[in-house]
Amino acid sequence: MSVIGAQTANLVANQGLPPTRISRARRATFFSFVGVGTVAGIWLMYVFLSEGGMRKAEWALLAVFAPLYYQLNMGFWTALFGVWIMNRPKADPLDLWRTLSADDYRAPITASTAIIMPIYNEDVTRVFEGLRAIYESLSETRQPETFDFFILSDSDDTNKWIEEETAWLELCRQLNAFGRIFYRKRRKPINRKSGNVSDFCRRWGRRYRYMVVLDADSLMSGAMLTSMVRIMEKNPGVGILQTFPKQIASDTLLGRVMQFAQALYGPPFMAGLDYWQGGEANFWGHNAIIRLAPFIENCALPPLPGKEPFGGHIMSHDFVEAALMRKAGYAVRLLPAHHGSYEEGPPTLIDMLKRDRRWCQGNMQHFWLLFAKGWHPMSRLNFFHGILSYASSLLWFLFLVISTFLAATHPGHQQPQAILAEQILLGLTIALIFLPKVLILMDEMFTGRMFKPLGQRVMTFFSSIGDTIVFTLMAPVLMVFHARFVIYTVLGKGVRWVAQRRRMDGGVDWAETIMTFWSVTTLGLAWGVIAFFIGWAFLLWFIPILCSMLLAVPVAIIVSGRRSGQRLGLFRIPEEADPPLVLRAMNQRLNVVKDRIPLQPELERHFGLMQVCLDPYVNGMHVSLLRRRKSIELSRDYLKKLENRLLKDGPTSLTPQEMKAMMHDTDTVTNLHYHLWSAKEHELAPFWSLAIRQHNLAATNPFTHLLAQRDNE
Amino acid sequence: MEAVNIAFAPATGTEEEWNEAYARLADYFRSYRLHNRIRRTQLILETLRRAAETHALEPEKSPTAHAIEQARGMLRTWLGSIYEGLNLTESQIEATGRLGFHLCDGPDRWPHFFLDDDNLPEDMADAMRSVVQASGPSLQISKMTPREIDLGKITEITEDTIDTLGRHALLRYAVLLLMVGGVLGYLFWLLRV
Repeated sequence: MSVIGAQTANLVANQGLPPTRISRARRATFFSFVGVGTVAGIWLMYVFLSEGGMRKAEWALLAVFAPLYYQLNMGFWTALFGVWIMNRPKADPLDLWRTLSADDYRAPITASTAIIMPIYNEDVTRVFEGLRAIYESLSETRQPETFDFFILSDSDDTNKWIEEETAWLELCRQLNAFGRIFYRKRRKPINRKSGNVSDFCRRWGRRYRYMVVLDADSLMSGAMLTSMVRIMEKNPGVGILQTFPKQIASDTLLGRVMQFAQALYGPPFMAGLDYWQGGEANFWGHNAIIRLAPFIENCALPPLPGKEPFGGHIMSHDFVEAALMRKAGYAVRLLPAHHGSYEEGPPTLIDMLKRDRRWCQGNMQHFWLLFAKGWHPMSRLNFFHGILSYASSLLWFLFLVISTFLAATHPGHQQPQAILAEQILLGLTIALIFLPKVLILMDEMFTGRMFKPLGQRVMTFFSSIGDTIVFTLMAPVLMVFHARFVIYTVLGKGVRWVAQRRRMDGGVDWAETIMTFWSVTTLGLAWGVIAFFIGWAFLLWFIPILCSMLLAVPVAIIVSGRRSGQRLGLFRIPEEADPPLVLRAMNQRLNVVKDRIPLQPELERHFGLMQVCLDPYVNGMHVSLLRRRKSIELSRDYLKKLENRLLKDGPTSLTPQEMKAMMHDTDTVTNLHYHLWSAKEHELAPFWSLAIRQHNLAATNPFTHLLAQRDNE
Repeated sequence: MEAVNIAFAPATGTEEEWNEAYARLADYFRSYRLHNRIRRTQLILETLRRAAETHALEPEKSPTAHAIEQARGMLRTWLGSIYEGLNLTESQIEATGRLGFHLCDGPDRWPHFFLDDDNLPEDMADAMRSVVQASGPSLQISKMTPREIDLGKITEITEDTIDTLGRHALLRYAVLLLMVGGVLGYLFWLLRV
């Protein structure tokens, strides 16, 4: 096994790369501000704590304070630089959009591009209607010939698998896109999403110059896709081009607050990040375009030392792939853009925490890579920031614990110098937290970047106050959970790979919410009692954190609910007021599918299985797509037994593994179809009797059940 | 296909059994989305006629099972004549054929010719043959081999430590106990009167 060079390679070509001179000047400027801000904060804290000499606990407090203050400064200065860049009269000389001329937009695209969407037990209708909207938007650009679509499935739920195949076939039939949209199902989901992408690269990577990676909830316009390819063509030094996916389509309070905050504060942060990250930006795993040849050559992921969760397969592969790409000499760039790249967010606080748990584990794994040889210093810094984004919660928690301890054991500060330092530090910290928000809000008020009508700008102001309240209430709760996730990861408690919930199916699950958050309330209660005994002054200082901990359960229920302020005009984003065509097209079709007549819940739950067994076309399709294998006598007997069980006792009598084994065997699937139709009523489980009776209702036609139909059908 | 004989009088099986077979066949052919009821009825009666013959030879099997078996046989014969010469196995023909009929809109365009071996419209056969699908383009295999990353000394030491702790549960708990004991001891020392 060859070892990657111990040095970062020189950049392979200069187009699209920020010149070293500019990058260094920018980073020197940026980090000077961050450094000054951090050092000033640490010094003020030291002055405050050192009254009467530094005790060990005070040193400990200062030690956890320093990285927290650094992180606060990073966010503050990134936003400030972003606001400055967005408002300066001269355009950014490094802006990649400027590399395209009017002629470039007119020239036909010749580079072959694969648009890949790795999926895992996702909502099939959302995935394929999203894909249809992207496909049609791309067709409108009159440049679709060089783009191919790949749905790369790792779904291990048999129903989802069959539904995916059915939806793929129907979509291709409707769009006449056979040979343009491909479906691939892996038998074994080795190395999860990154393994799925690598599998694609190994099989078909050489056919394409570029690969656009999408998430199951991604949505991109054709104009954005073609622009990305054109930018890559004009800038051969760029290996990965990451767009800024705007969050859309939320219907819960949390989702709408998050998408509003991202719409308002995201662009300046993105501009600020682009300013100091330059050619060493990060890849966020989706809504990005990748130059395939260097990716295949350099970005295969080795396993990390040790076992999961801390070692083993790399979960957050995107940061590592970005670092490997940069190491190979290709730039990783951000593409600030306000339209054309979208994603969806978690609908509830619990879903958000589940996602954070995975991200936390992935980021903590990067600890192994922090000290590896050969990274570009900025890639190392990206790893460090990733770790810090979760470790900071544990540090904040420790900060509060040590503060409580000091308050209980320290007589209080008397010296005017210490009190002055405390007051300045408090003022500075408040400015670091709130000033970026105020500046960005003022920028919106004056420029109307999001909304032109004055009324909507005023509502943006009120929405901003609302989002500050929501995030203030959630922050301590997130701190407790993130701190717990970090500890779990270090102690070796890993997470399972589960499908993400992206939309609310029903109402808020009160029992689940109470079970999840009662521990935070209890912790808040205990801490409140301790603070009360320490003294009123400490209790008062601590009360905002205590309140949000005590209110964790009601806050979680409220933010996960559908009363999202939409009727009052709060938290509106431009995509809600005037949806882009690609989103409008997708939503229209999703509504059509939502309005269809549902089947009995039992049949809906096993819809894929029902269709593959009963419908002659779905059965034929599934068998046609299976790889043929020689079956041995032993497996024949085993599969025969499973088949009998399935018919007699229904789908719930088989484990997911047994079901999968059956569905992978061509003869078994074919025979199932005939045996089911041949069986007498009393030989079948009630599920199948019901399924046969219901199968021929118009609504259960699998091809109309999962996807909207064309207008003329 | 021969003219349908409406006078259906099977020699074996009960009326109830044949009614059940009829109902199942009706459902089965409807699942092919053949909306033409006359054609569906023709198919059902022809299948039942064949099923009645085989049931007389093998009465231990239900008429429903015979009927579906006959329907499968008719489908195989019909598809065999369409996909003749395409080098497909019998089961491939069966699966691909059903899919092909759906993809070329067969149920809407050629409902009268479904399972009719004597009348195969050339355009239908061509359409069904042309839609033999593959789910992916031809492979162009690349090597994507992970290259080892030199993790450096600090990582190596950490890895060794974690590895050692991972292999010795007793040592792991001793370290944990030492840490918790240390913190508690320190707190006790700080809070002593």
